[in-house]
Amino acid sequence: MTRFSAFERALHWLLALTFLTMAATGLILYLPSLAEVAANRGMWKSIHLGAAIAFWAGLIALLPGNGRQFRASAREIDRFDGDDRRWLQWAVTRRGDEPVQGRFNAGQKLNTAIVSGLMVVFTVSGTLMYLQETDAAFRGRTSAILVHDLATWVALPLVAGHLWLALVNPSTRHSMRGILLGSVRRDWARRHHGKWMDAVEGQPVSTGSAEPPSPSP
Amino acid sequence: MASVSVAGDTDHVNDQRMGRAAFLTVLGLGTVGLAFGERITRGLSAPIGAVGDVIPNAVKALVPTGWRIYAVNPPWPTFHPATYRLQVTGMVARPLTLEWTEVGGLPAVDETADFHCVTGWTVGGVHWRGIRLQTLWDMAHPLPEARYVNFISMEHPYVDTLSLKQTTMPQVMLAHTMDGAPLPREHGAPLRLVVPEMYGYKGVKWLHRIELVDRLEPGYWEQRGYDVDAWVGRSNGYF
Repeated sequence: MTRFSAFERALHWLLALTFLTMAATGLILYLPSLAEVAANRGMWKSIHLGAAIAFWAGLIALLPGNGRQFRASAREIDRFDGDDRRWLQWAVTRRGDEPVQGRFNAGQKLNTAIVSGLMVVFTVSGTLMYLQETDAAFRGRTSAILVHDLATWVALPLVAGHLWLALVNPSTRHSMRGILLGSVRRDWARRHHGKWMDAVEGQPVSTGSAEPPSPSP
Repeated sequence: MASVSVAGDTDHVNDQRMGRAAFLTVLGLGTVGLAFGERITRGLSAPIGAVGDVIPNAVKALVPTGWRIYAVNPPWPTFHPATYRLQVTGMVARPLTLEWTEVGGLPAVDETADFHCVTGWTVGGVHWRGIRLQTLWDMAHPLPEARYVNFISMEHPYVDTLSLKQTTMPQVMLAHTMDGAPLPREHGAPLRLVVPEMYGYKGVKWLHRIELVDRLEPGYWEQRGYDVDAWVGRSNGYF
């Protein structure tokens, strides 16, 4: 079952590699305890800025040829139907059965939207930090350092949770295969993304019902 | 490819654009933070400071205090009171080698000053206690041709420099006490230069030698493109 296109996987791994590089070098620049172990602030700063530039360069390289796919994926992530909203409630309360989900569940949609916003916030505040370091005229005009720090403390738990679900949690870690190779097992997709399977296989779909669809023969 | 584009979300009548809403909320919070963040945290800092003493030090070490510790050649030097010596060398009539007990016996003064880093952060109202450079000059007697002073750190190869005149500006001192406690290791124990009117990179930490010379020898960061006269708000690209 093809879950992620080559474009989507490329976008994911572009963000994953550059984000982890920026997180690691950023923590070295930020935490005194790490700064003591890893010397050479100038080098870590260059890698940190280089990864940021690589992210945007990669995005600019990937988007033009895949605009239609990007818009389709973005639309899919943007729209929350009744089951998605029920899923968010279910994720908190854990009461009743898991509402049936499409190709992305509501948590994945929310995570993607928030992380996308954070990348813009990181870029704007990071650019201001670069400017105020280069030119003191920018100093004191904005709270760029504070915003960059807070964005980090929001992003790190999100990424940690994402990694836990992808690498550790038994019922969800099969999704790693999807983002690496593109495809997932049919039975796994049926269990976790039932409405997507219904749509792909042309089955009648559950509309707004929290009941799982009847198993296909 | 065709199979990927099928969302499986079919309840379109009641769709809500929550993805866009979440994205725009993050952008909005970021913008508010950029504009008002410092003002908001200043308002919160008083209540946090009031409960600050019940937080264990191990946790505090993880929480940013406003300070960021930059080292050029870790690990940080270690201060051993028995073997530490402060040397005053170069163009002086009487070179000095002071043991730590002798440094501690020199007349000390107190001051409170804001600390500004060239990378943009500031720690307000730091309380310093330490020795004025004039006290050392009265003992060592700089020669008439001495014009610059190199401050040499135990953290090789960190060094920075002031003109001899700048060393006796009102707030310049060699601090051995910070906010009421002996200077912590990460802040340059046992002795650091404090120049409140200049950015922090002038404030050499883990100081162990002071050398008087007749010519300007650019310091560690100045060799890497920073201004020699690091006036806060009037240097490093500010016009």
